Amino acid sequence: MVALISPAPKKTMQRLFDFWSAYQSTVAFAIVNSFLALSTYAVLSAGILSFATVTYAALGGFLGARLVLASGLDSLLALPIAALAGAGLSYLVALVFLRLQSHWMALASLSLILITRVIVINTPWVTGGVVGMSVPMPLSLSFLSLLLALAAFVFWRLSVSWYGIAAQSVREDPAVASSLGISARDIQTIAFVISGAVGGLGGILLAGLLQFISPDTYFVNIAFTMIAGVVLGGSYHWSGAIVGAAVFTALPVVAQAAFPEYQDVANGVVLLAIMIFLPRGLIDPRAIRLRRASR
Amino acid sequence: MELFIEQLINGVALGSLYALFGLGFGIVFSTLGILNAAQGTYASWGAIVALNAADQWKLPFAASLLTGVVAAGLIALIVDQVAFQPLRKRGTSMLGALITSIACWIILDSLAGTATGHNSLSFPRGTYPSTMFHLGTIPLPAMQLITIAALLVVTLGLQLLTRHSRLGSAMRAVGWDQTAASIGGVNPRYVVVITAFLAGATSGFAGVLGGITTQNVSFMLGEGLMLKGFAAVVVGGYDDVRGTALAGVALGVLEVLTSQYLSSGLRDGITYSLLLIFLLVRPRGLFGSLNFSRA
Amino acid sequence: MKSVDVDETTKVPKPLLELSVVGKNFGGVAAVSDLSMAVQAGSVAGLMGPNGAGKTTLVNLISGMLPPDHGTIEFSGVQIQRSPAHIIAAQGIARTYQNVRLFSGMTVLEQVMAGCYVRRGVSLWASFLGLPKAQHAYKAVQNHALELLDRVQLTHRAHFLAETLSYGEQRRVEIARALGTRPKLLLLDEPTAGMNAQESAEIGRLVHSLRGGGLTVLMVEHNVQLVKDFCDVVTVMNFGRYLVSGTPAYCMAHPDVQAAYFGKTTDAERIQTLR
Repeated sequence: MVALISPAPKKTMQRLFDFWSAYQSTVAFAIVNSFLALSTYAVLSAGILSFATVTYAALGGFLGARLVLASGLDSLLALPIAALAGAGLSYLVALVFLRLQSHWMALASLSLILITRVIVINTPWVTGGVVGMSVPMPLSLSFLSLLLALAAFVFWRLSVSWYGIAAQSVREDPAVASSLGISARDIQTIAFVISGAVGGLGGILLAGLLQFISPDTYFVNIAFTMIAGVVLGGSYHWSGAIVGAAVFTALPVVAQAAFPEYQDVANGVVLLAIMIFLPRGLIDPRAIRLRRASR
Repeated sequence: MELFIEQLINGVALGSLYALFGLGFGIVFSTLGILNAAQGTYASWGAIVALNAADQWKLPFAASLLTGVVAAGLIALIVDQVAFQPLRKRGTSMLGALITSIACWIILDSLAGTATGHNSLSFPRGTYPSTMFHLGTIPLPAMQLITIAALLVVTLGLQLLTRHSRLGSAMRAVGWDQTAASIGGVNPRYVVVITAFLAGATSGFAGVLGGITTQNVSFMLGEGLMLKGFAAVVVGGYDDVRGTALAGVALGVLEVLTSQYLSSGLRDGITYSLLLIFLLVRPRGLFGSLNFSRA
Repeated sequence: MKSVDVDETTKVPKPLLELSVVGKNFGGVAAVSDLSMAVQAGSVAGLMGPNGAGKTTLVNLISGMLPPDHGTIEFSGVQIQRSPAHIIAAQGIARTYQNVRLFSGMTVLEQVMAGCYVRRGVSLWASFLGLPKAQHAYKAVQNHALELLDRVQLTHRAHFLAETLSYGEQRRVEIARALGTRPKLLLLDEPTAGMNAQESAEIGRLVHSLRGGGLTVLMVEHNVQLVKDFCDVVTVMNFGRYLVSGTPAYCMAHPDVQAAYFGKTTDAERIQTLR
């Protein structure tokens, strides 16, 4: 059989196959990071800056992984449980945090991440403590892609439904939105719950992909890079979160080929450039509309 | 009992580091209205430059200390003018400034990692005072005394500067409203530049001292100080110098005593819980003023 | 139009909006001081006073943006002074702002749709799932929004970014958006501020056309001609206090009003000659 295939196409196939295996994990990470970015976008699109996605992800990741390990639960079932747990936690967070002014809320969500790490370290029976725990949960790329497509569908439906216009109003001008009968508190609570569900799901997917999680997995680093990704991709549309996550995941890999010593710096430089020159991010519905109108 | 006093002093010394760092962070927060995610990197870089000065250029302790502090101040100044100044002109929100600071954090942190070869370096013996004083039988390392003295001097200096000098009034005016300040005869650009330098130098000071005492010169030094310094600012009062200093010292003491008498796993938990509680219940801290001004 | 509430003892229709001894301080400044006034259903009422008289603060108090320090505000017989703004809007009070506040990044039609949110008629769940009944309801609301745009003569701009319109057009979008909430009372805060004579006249005609549908309007205005032409009754404020109320002509001629605006009665007499 092998003798029937001439050498030239076989080499190309081999090269393509090598290329694909090398970058398959990057694509997988980009997809998982998209979930975390979408979780951040969910509240940002209703006018809230919150880093609590990391906390939801930690809950989803550790809880889900522990359930799979301890009870042999099918990983397929662990996913919705992680999402539900995240949603429940985010609802509680909303109850407490929505009373705060926006800048204090952002800081409070940051301190929530810090406390989460302490809790993770001190509950080894769930989280494996300081040492961490391994996560036996293989995830295929096609499965991840399917989940992402599902998430994208959900966010698209949200944006074209009544919730979408209400959230946009609350984000742009909460006082005016109130005077139109839109309850900022209700809309933002919904935003929190969505964020929690997507964040919890992202957390367990991250656990499965890394195959090993520890207290440092869900910490300030991903909080910052996630929000940065959302802003870079465009914080005014759900697709921006996915694009931003993809850029942030892929950029260091690309930069590695060009400047191996400085691959991590690449993300920072690109983000800085975006903030100075294109602050609404890569995907900006308003800019698209302005261009359309001027034609 | 002696152990208690020894740990108390350890706590005060550690807390002085937190407080010193927090003072720098607080200046940027209250005067420039920026939640600066890159502040920790000023500390890391201060330590790295000081280490180089001591190790490579064989400078005496005081000179390498000064070099580190000035370097940190200059880095902060550059970051402010390159990253934050364009945003200031545009009137960007707090979120925008935060994201930009994250970009700078990514860049400076990665560069710091590269500079130390991703290792944790320490100051060689002889590059810093290692005399051991004694209070009865309690050992008092010279560096601890220097750290505490540094905090006292800087706190006094900043207090005099912000509350009792023309520059200080100018700083507070610029923090409140740049346009109004300039109408009142203050040159905001000049004030902003000086403020940025001072903030960086203060945090850099903490970085150098911290790098020596914890034997850990790396990008992680800054991150550790950042979180605790941030807590000191929130608990103490974001625009109150003495409050931040007091809170930082108190947090250090609490941490050390918790670690000694309760559990080392909980030491961070106390700090972060206090941080969250204050943010939820009294965001302006013990001594902060009611109105939050933004850049 | 539904029947008007009538006070049984005096057989006088109860006002749609009634303020009793309402006060609001900011620090040491009394922006509104013991103010009482009433607006009858179906009327177009004017609210006048020199700058700083507290008119916008009063609008903010009625719409629920600020809580009063004391006093009561009664709307359709219900006390609303402690209600949050979105509840007050749902009960039928809508408003515009002194400086036009449209949502950035939204088209004209989307602005009005945002106004129609509170009367959308379906649950958010049904809307998210895209159920057929939700889709029908959405279509119906969209048609209503287009009708509103028609009333303010901006149908041709429906899909333009609202912020690209001229100031006068933006003001009309803002009014259409407020009308989307199907209000019983519409508060207009200086709707013709910054407009030329022609644009102001257009706004005036628009306000006039609105009263036909049973809408009550309370309009803060400096434009004396507009008030004279379109308002049934005017209330004048100064230094946060109630000064006088009555027909526009009565109020304009009132010496206290003229003194408030111009400082001295002698100056006011000179102004009379301008007309």
